[in-house]
Amino acid sequence: MAESPADAVAAQTAVARSPIAAAVPTVRDGWEVDATVAVGPLTLSDETPLAKVAVRAPFDGAARAALGVRYGRTGRVDIGGDRVLIAGAGPGEWLALGAPGTGSALVASLEELLAGTGEFTSVLDLTHGRALVRLEGAAAPSVLAGVCAIDFSDTVTPDGTALRTSVAAVVTDVVRDDRGTQRSGAAATGAVGVPSFLLHCERSSGQYLADALLEAGAGAGLEVTGFRGLEPSRG
Amino acid sequence: MMLLPCPWCGPRNATEFRFVGEAGPRPDPATVTPEQWRHYLYVHANRCGWSTETWYHRAGCRRYLSVERHTLTHEIRTVRDTATGTTSASTATPEAAR
Repeated sequence: MAESPADAVAAQTAVARSPIAAAVPTVRDGWEVDATVAVGPLTLSDETPLAKVAVRAPFDGAARAALGVRYGRTGRVDIGGDRVLIAGAGPGEWLALGAPGTGSALVASLEELLAGTGEFTSVLDLTHGRALVRLEGAAAPSVLAGVCAIDFSDTVTPDGTALRTSVAAVVTDVVRDDRGTQRSGAAATGAVGVPSFLLHCERSSGQYLADALLEAGAGAGLEVTGFRGLEPSRG
Repeated sequence: MMLLPCPWCGPRNATEFRFVGEAGPRPDPATVTPEQWRHYLYVHANRCGWSTETWYHRAGCRRYLSVERHTLTHEIRTVRDTATGTTSASTATPEAAR
């Protein structure tokens, strides 16, 4: 059936919404995001608009080599011409994060990348089924300590760590992605950055997780700030 | 708090896991009698001492683990991934969890 003019207009103006309510809503890249700008050093931002693609494959086979990221670690990889953050938060499971609106293209690029491995793999766009927040600041590990049993100190979970655990009783992928560091390649500096954690969970738990983090960080001055995207984290 | 040394994730709070039950051989469905099947499903030794159990790491690696645990002291001797055989010794360092 042909699309009516009204449907075409609706499709052009459709706005995707995060499960986390925005205090000052505005639209960016087709998503309703929070326009709030925090001034403090400890912030929580809703990064749900980022494209989120799950990859499953044998944990240590050709697919792992093609992705370039092993279990428990993260890496920034160029896929399909875009810079993508890949996190190996589970054995044989990877989460690829890309710029808003690139989910379909990222799925196609990953399928093309993995097609030659000869392994059974699956690639699935989870963008609208998951919630993603970033907790950033020097006090971020101590905020997480209030809601999670993992030690997030530099010695145990350094920059580039990916793991899945229970945060405020919600199953959450925790990705440490510090600001102001270069971890690999010729640009590696070894500099210590500002601790920054991406927390990824089921969409239905997103608002609760954000509220739990805000409550845990209230004493440390945790503030909500607007969507920042992937690249601003790199110093 | 009870720690389980997951072979994939390291020592984790036991609340991240689901206790599946005592591990044991599954009867052949083609030849088993209803009584044997009920016994397999519902009747357990529940011994005081070393027991081999299955745990599911629902908030971590999402793997089924075979755990040798002392039911009185909660000491854990070995943990093994039931699918891959990846093992974890009970001497795993507990720094990753408090």
